[in-house]
Amino acid sequence: MSACNSPSTLFATTRWTVVCDAARGGDSRAVEALGALFGTYWQPLYRYARRRGKSREDAEDLVQGFLAHLIKAQALRGTGRGKGLFRAFLLASFNHWMINEWKYASREKRGGGVTLLSFDWESAETSLKLESADERSPDKLFDREWALTLLRKTLDDLEAACRAEGNTSQFENLKPCLTLDSSQIPYAELAARLDMTEGAARVAIHRLRKRYRHLLKEEVARTLSSPAAVESEMQSLFAALSG
Amino acid sequence: MPDLSSSQICPGCGAPLPEDSPQALCPACLLRQAITSGTIIAEGATATAGPPPAVEEIAGKFPQFEILECLGRGGMGVVYKARQKSLNRQVAIKILAPEREHDVRFAGRFAREAELLAKLSHPHIVTIHDFGETAGLYYLVMEFVDGVSLRDLLREGKLEPQQALAIVPEICDALQFAHDHGIVHRDIKPENILLNRFGRVKVADFGLAKLIAGASEIESGQSAPTAPAAEDLTEAGRTMGTPNYMAPEQTKNPNQVDSRADIYSLGVVFYQMLTGELPGKRIEAPSRKVQIDVRLDEVVLRALEREPERRYQQASIFKTQVETIASSPPREEPPYSKTEGVQGPRFSRLAIVGAVWGGICVGTLLLMFAA
Repeated sequence: MSACNSPSTLFATTRWTVVCDAARGGDSRAVEALGALFGTYWQPLYRYARRRGKSREDAEDLVQGFLAHLIKAQALRGTGRGKGLFRAFLLASFNHWMINEWKYASREKRGGGVTLLSFDWESAETSLKLESADERSPDKLFDREWALTLLRKTLDDLEAACRAEGNTSQFENLKPCLTLDSSQIPYAELAARLDMTEGAARVAIHRLRKRYRHLLKEEVARTLSSPAAVESEMQSLFAALSG
Repeated sequence: MPDLSSSQICPGCGAPLPEDSPQALCPACLLRQAITSGTIIAEGATATAGPPPAVEEIAGKFPQFEILECLGRGGMGVVYKARQKSLNRQVAIKILAPEREHDVRFAGRFAREAELLAKLSHPHIVTIHDFGETAGLYYLVMEFVDGVSLRDLLREGKLEPQQALAIVPEICDALQFAHDHGIVHRDIKPENILLNRFGRVKVADFGLAKLIAGASEIESGQSAPTAPAAEDLTEAGRTMGTPNYMAPEQTKNPNQVDSRADIYSLGVVFYQMLTGELPGKRIEAPSRKVQIDVRLDEVVLRALEREPERRYQQASIFKTQVETIASSPPREEPPYSKTEGVQGPRFSRLAIVGAVWGGICVGTLLLMFAA
């Protein structure tokens, strides 16, 4: 499952479109691409299972077994153009798996012959707050965490790109601008902090914002079967964060 | 200025930061910033015909003008900034639909419509000084507006409510004046709403959608010749790439629209100014998205009614409603609490002038950078 690390070289082949198209043709690329996508978005599933009352061990088993089940391609065969959102597909299939199939599969069998995923299960437990009453449904929280995962991935990619260019400190100082309207950005203050002219700071901020938007849209597009739906998926994710 | 060092409160929306915020940045604001600008990029990237004619190429065709620069290309044609030599004044020359070069029917319609449009003299409407045809190119000579478009301002997100409340009544004035003269704009959108350096609204491109689309005869009561008007409009609509602002009836039956289609489009623009977003299929009240006077919901939603009969029937009524809200104390039912109280919407010319200058400065800087 090295694809789970999702290096940028895999980028072009890790789109949900590739999974759908390749799965229809029985192509092995479907599995590879799915693995890479799964590597980014497994955490919301794990937390979903936890919120559905599964123990840590069971949730780990469920996620492990679910990916193995998907990879056997049985579940993918039916993926066509209709399965527009990877997010929706994953949650629906996972629910199905959790309710119907998992209970028949014996614990011993699970993982047999399949390399266990080296996910950081511990990190997926962070601030799960199962004990506190949250009126939002696990489905809603899944969408919210999906949006957070997507944003985290985008920002990490952006940070890595800036670091590679030797601009780590610039990224650290300017990243709050990604959440601000331009009228709210304290250009002079940031320029002083970075020892730049205000003009240079404005340009740097503009470029960072542009790059961020590009990366975010690319990441959203990875999870869709049609690039035309990027905007509406972004609206849905925004709604999930606001709700 | 927001305090960027605080880790508890989002400097953008003022809401407490969720514990699981990526890189300690407010997730909702991260997404909002990408959406607002994204919409604009997507629209700006819609397919247009090949590159606009070069300044030198155009200069030869307009000896009475000194062509200074190409200002841009929109669905309606290409706009150049020029100096009218005789009067030594700056003007904008819009070259319409170059592909109509040899279209005889277009020539007749152009002359009739342009004459009507040139009669629209109003402080909030971009004046048409002259029009004509030279070397097969149909052109309009217009007032040059030194400022920015509303699109430029929206590129960085929503406006402050008081800015929106100062802009909308002036657009209403322009619309009411044109409607009284029997002219429907048909393409109200942020690109066509210009703000000069004093923050005054100037609405551009009145009636050009109809002129280009070829539906003029129908509305003026004359029968259309053989022109397949609807198909033409589809073509123009695609080039313009602004279905987001079109009234439902305009999409369905472009020939039958009246002034109430402009009211709808203004509703979309108003919604976008307040929330930074376009209204979705199921329109959510603006106050559910941002903290604004809840009475604005009613105004915006009324303008966005699907049935023209249920909208404001006159731009002047729309204006009165907005002004009433702007001049009385706000009524707020905030969807979430903020650390700072939001000021009640007030007319603030200064705020718009500031935004316009900000837009100009950033634009200039980016141009310098691009160069």
